[in-house]
Amino acid sequence: MGHFIGRWAALFGVFAAGIVGVPRAAIAAEPSKAAPQRRFEHVHGLAIAADGQALWLGAHTGLYRSQDRGKTWTGVALPATHGHVDVMAIASDPRDAKVLYVATHEAGIFRTRDGDLTWTVVNGGLKGLDVHGVAVDPRDSKKVHAAVRGEGEGVYRTTDGGEKWVRVDDGPAGEVKILASVNIPTGMGGIFLYGGTAEGLLRSPECF
Amino acid sequence: MGGLPTSRTVNGFAVNPEKSRVMYATMRDGLFQSTDAGESWKPVGKGLKNLAAVAVNPRQSTEVYAVSMDGRVYRTADGGKTWEPQR
Repeated sequence: MGHFIGRWAALFGVFAAGIVGVPRAAIAAEPSKAAPQRRFEHVHGLAIAADGQALWLGAHTGLYRSQDRGKTWTGVALPATHGHVDVMAIASDPRDAKVLYVATHEAGIFRTRDGDLTWTVVNGGLKGLDVHGVAVDPRDSKKVHAAVRGEGEGVYRTTDGGEKWVRVDDGPAGEVKILASVNIPTGMGGIFLYGGTAEGLLRSPECF
Repeated sequence: MGGLPTSRTVNGFAVNPEKSRVMYATMRDGLFQSTDAGESWKPVGKGLKNLAAVAVNPRQSTEVYAVSMDGRVYRTADGGKTWEPQR
């Protein structure tokens, strides 16, 4: 599999097959016809609701929703105590299209259970509010993992949909960019947690 | 890092909801797909670059979206063979 950093194993294939030996033409840039959405400034995350209808986009300038396959986007107001919310990651409940978790750079995690009508701050137990990844367990929607950076750094878990978080692991080495629960059995009764980081893609059994 | 190229940022990741071993990763270099849970990867989406995130439609796993860091959205309806900019 690869190199182990604690429990997190690096998946080197992405480098070996993806970067080395790939003809440049295969990944050469072509002029894009799509207009950039400058108001995002910098995109961090993308998710699709369980019903396949709504697309959610997280960016430096906030949270956005599209109902037309990403052609147009509408800003979504989150109940942050300060104006600017930098959305780092989004996770949709794979069973309920109305449930979404939004991880932010400075305000922790927001959750909606009614498809964006109301939002709740769900930071109970988090020791830091710079959240770089959030992942809903595909087998149990109430079980969610989150990756916190900086103060209180580590991977946190909730088993009640965000009401209470408990720190369960140091997390992968390197700055976490995205976290995902993947329904692949570890052989130890759990599944794998994947983390995209500044040092590549890593995974760990989630039975912390 | 075992003599392999070092430190490439993976900033987006998504999994096929029907086949969990099929997954996508986005990097500055573009979009990559694995069919073996991440052991090996191949580039998909010719011309896509500077990607920030990727998502698979939970109801239709051949429909995948990728978005660039500056907000350009691309969609495939055939599992990654052909991509169209959304505008």
